[in-house]
Amino acid sequence: MAISKDDVARRVKEVTARVLNIDAAKIQTKDTFSGDLGAESIQSIELVASFEEEFEIEMDEDEALSVTNVAKAIDFIYDTCVKQGK
Amino acid sequence: MKLVIFEDLNKAANFYPISLSRPVFELRCGIFNLAEKISKRLAASPSAFLCRSYLTTTFKRRAGTVAVNDLAAVKNDTVLMVNGQVKACSLNVQAAGPSEIGMSGDQVVYCRLSGSDTAKIDAARIGVETLPLVAGHNLPIKQVADARFYQYSWDVMLDSPHDITHDFKLIGKRGIEGTIEQPSGIRGSKDDIYVAPGAKIHPMVVIDASNGPVYLSEDVEVHPFTRIEGPAFVGRKSLLLGAKLREGCSIGPVCRVGGEVEESVMHAYSNKYHDGFLGHAYVGEFVNLGALTTNSDLKNDYTDVEVLLNGQKVNTGSTKVGSIIGDHTKTSIATLFNTGSIVGAMGLLMATGEPLPKSIPSFAWFIGGVVTKGFGHKKLYETAKTATSRRKAEWTQDDLDLWEKIYEITAPERDAAIRKGRKQMVRKQ
Repeated sequence: MAISKDDVARRVKEVTARVLNIDAAKIQTKDTFSGDLGAESIQSIELVASFEEEFEIEMDEDEALSVTNVAKAIDFIYDTCVKQGK
Repeated sequence: MKLVIFEDLNKAANFYPISLSRPVFELRCGIFNLAEKISKRLAASPSAFLCRSYLTTTFKRRAGTVAVNDLAAVKNDTVLMVNGQVKACSLNVQAAGPSEIGMSGDQVVYCRLSGSDTAKIDAARIGVETLPLVAGHNLPIKQVADARFYQYSWDVMLDSPHDITHDFKLIGKRGIEGTIEQPSGIRGSKDDIYVAPGAKIHPMVVIDASNGPVYLSEDVEVHPFTRIEGPAFVGRKSLLLGAKLREGCSIGPVCRVGGEVEESVMHAYSNKYHDGFLGHAYVGEFVNLGALTTNSDLKNDYTDVEVLLNGQKVNTGSTKVGSIIGDHTKTSIATLFNTGSIVGAMGLLMATGEPLPKSIPSFAWFIGGVVTKGFGHKKLYETAKTATSRRKAEWTQDDLDLWEKIYEITAPERDAAIRKGRKQMVRKQ
């Protein structure tokens, strides 16, 4: 069964919470990773790797790292999942 | 006779990561590189070089007027093609003679072609790179039992100390043509020391030539409290900063070296500015080793060092092998390398407090103890461009094309390491 966007959104927040050691319930889609959620540059690398592992996808690092907030991450990961047949 | 020096295409990967960006015969050993040694042994300048095709454009810049992957210059002449991996001291071949191929085991030592046979070569059809291996297909084979080869990069490094002494004699220069400020300490015979014009040796420097010669090239600068033990070679415009340069070091041009270095080879433009130990290492160019970066070169049980090269475990046959570090790789402060580490090119490595894995692929962002995609390989190019411009060298479109090809060649090993790294990273969360 194809992945749903709601599922992607839930799992993106869970991964973000785990990597940044914050409460998933407090993450809003408008939040930026570095400004609002406090991700340091090395944690952004960890986020990309963790999303790839969670969704079993490969992301272009330049495109992935240009994603600045949770909403855009959900869109980008959802599109990548669809393209890669997940 | 026209001399052609060729790369053995079947073996070039044995010299990774150093040979990723240069032909194998450009590896330094002693004072010269392997091609220069062959050229001097045969008392003949090369008319052409043959190497992997993707290296052609960037290597041409260094080859000067010598043709690269182009045999037009030798057409109709008697040609002696010599495998660039042959140890020059073991090369015994007559320039004149019938067409024949010299073999040692399954490796071509040389291929000699008479003018009429050279004329028959259809390089366009067979591919110029593979020519030495196929041109002699129908020729008589002569077994060359005494020929010896460098098979891996550490073979070159291990021969380098001996070759410094050999090459020093070959060059034949002696004496102090630069300046040595007093007080200084010279041990051994002044006949075993050459300080080239423009070289500046500050006070409180010890040059110990009692166990081998010391050659300091033009415009080398040696800061106080440096100790240089021969055999040693330091290339032009290099800077030694209170270094303990133990015996057997061959330092390329425009390097900066501090801390303790022993029996190591370093190509041009590399930095090991600060304290930290580098032993029995082979370092490419534009490498930057952060303060306190240290490698082990001897196992605690004194057994032969094994390395993991191209996914295969290889016994080096030596108890002393440190790190092999590819071009443009940079280490953070306090990076530790285990004995016999193979560190890919264009990497960015952050210390973990423990020795890093023994094999790190090229273009690795090694962060948090795992290989990651990091900020991508294009960001590494930006850093390389900055590093080259800081040393007044050029980073051109040709360099970019070369490294894009290397990125492609090294992808399988790197991708596997990234996948493994992702799993390790998630397990730690």
